[in-house]
Amino acid sequence: MSVLSISVRPNRMTCWVLSWFLFAAGICLYLYTAQKRHKENPDDRVVPTLAQLGAGIYQAAMNPDADEEPAADSAGQSALERFRNGMLWKDTVASARRFLYGLALLFPAVLLGLHMGIFPYFGVFFLRFILFFDKIIALSVLPILFIAFGIDELSKVMLIVIGVTPTIILDTFNLTKSVPPEQVVKGFTLGARDFDVAYRVVLKQIWPRVLNSIRLNLKPLMLFLFAGEMIASTDGLAYRIALLRRHMGMNIIIPYVLWVALLLFLVDLTMRLLNKRLHPWFREA
Amino acid sequence: MVPGSLADTGAAPVLLDAEPATDLLIRLEKIHVSYELADGACKKVLDGIDLDIRRGEFVSVIGRTGCGKSTLLRLVLGAERPTEGRVLADGREVVRPDRDRGYVPQKYSLFPDKTVIDNITFGPEVEEFSLLTRFTPLFYRRRKEFRAEAMRQLRRMGLHGSDAKKYPDQLSGGMQQRVAIAQALVMKPKILLMDEAFSALDPGTRTGMQKLIRQVWRETNTTVLFVTHNIAEAIQLGTRVVVLAKDGAESSGSKVALDLRVPDRAEEFAEIAERVEAATGHSHLDEEE
Repeated sequence: MSVLSISVRPNRMTCWVLSWFLFAAGICLYLYTAQKRHKENPDDRVVPTLAQLGAGIYQAAMNPDADEEPAADSAGQSALERFRNGMLWKDTVASARRFLYGLALLFPAVLLGLHMGIFPYFGVFFLRFILFFDKIIALSVLPILFIAFGIDELSKVMLIVIGVTPTIILDTFNLTKSVPPEQVVKGFTLGARDFDVAYRVVLKQIWPRVLNSIRLNLKPLMLFLFAGEMIASTDGLAYRIALLRRHMGMNIIIPYVLWVALLLFLVDLTMRLLNKRLHPWFREA
Repeated sequence: MVPGSLADTGAAPVLLDAEPATDLLIRLEKIHVSYELADGACKKVLDGIDLDIRRGEFVSVIGRTGCGKSTLLRLVLGAERPTEGRVLADGREVVRPDRDRGYVPQKYSLFPDKTVIDNITFGPEVEEFSLLTRFTPLFYRRRKEFRAEAMRQLRRMGLHGSDAKKYPDQLSGGMQQRVAIAQALVMKPKILLMDEAFSALDPGTRTGMQKLIRQVWRETNTTVLFVTHNIAEAIQLGTRVVVLAKDGAESSGSKVALDLRVPDRAEEFAEIAERVEAATGHSHLDEEE
């Protein structure tokens, strides 16, 4: 049967091999390119070898930032202590803190979208403005944010607000509108009041889809966070990547990029599993 | 003249005998409903409907597709407001849906995020406990009572205790409608409004559900307004059949074309079916079966 047939069902082994093939091909291509470039120029820093990458990961994970004062008793520290003082951990914590602020701000956005969808006056009042707000390119207002809010945390959080919350608000609004009117009427006939219908009927039904929407917006959220960190920050994963770019520190940049991807993948996976476990009734379309 | 219209069939509305006003539960007074179409034209749906529903009646509303049966039900429900006229329930104007009028639609009759038992206890819980007070010890005590009552209702509908923890999508269409009826009845509504509630069911399940709703009506004496497009179902279930039909051009709204009591004797069903058929313009006694 042709591989382009719609009705073909690959077996388990084929699925496994095919799904990992591009990863393996990418790694092979990288190693080949690194080897080739290093043959031509042993001091090449653009495509580091595996050994250079290993050294870079060790340096990032176990050594503090070069600008930091080394701890007095750094020689006697355990591996765990060295890791926790290392720049990778500190940068991760700094970025994670901002990421969580951004994530927390999405929940009021969900409530606003819900109210806009349920209560007509809310909808009329906010919808046009949010639709306009959604069209503003967040990065284009970055200079304004830095002028208005300074270059500290607030401007970065505001960047996330401008970049991601309108999408979440509009998505929640649309999800709310997609709840069959029969369900709302049913709620009223069972003695529910307006807020009961909003929170106990509609929000509960759309919640798994809202979580999915938030999941799909994690990448834009990180994008805006990284933009803020790259331009104005003294710590964080994106700050480090931007800093190392000046020194052509690809042996650390590449592990940082993969680390960010892994973290985001784990957050996404956790949310997906939690969603499945908390809402066994929910079937994704 | 439009085929199937009242004028075409020649069937005159049958007026009901006057009954004591105290029995009156629902009154529709000179109801007109019309919608504005996208091109600015006005589409009339209901055109001067007057209808009284007395306590304990089982009223079947029948008519052709698009004649406004469901609109009529939504008016009584309070989910829609008439363009002209008013709907009274127990003498008070209906302005929005409330717990006095139970509702069983054809689709989306259950909350998909709740188990069967939670669907049935939703009404009593939400009525007695607000969002904040549902975290008190009293709530958990009362919840046990709600659940016991829900289980009674579930068994009455012919479902098993093991079904209580299932989600709606794990139930068949017939079982879902049984739960929906239990969910509505647990609130002891004054009137149960059923909108094509059995239309999506297979013939066997549908017959079972018809028997069940008739039995529930007898036992609880709840007033039922049952919208269907199935003539046989309307006659077999209802104590009264109301036929909605247009009496003129297709652009006109529907009126009550026939309003008659259904006798207990099954021998007279065929005669009634013929009259209903003539009034609705159906070409077969039951176009589905």
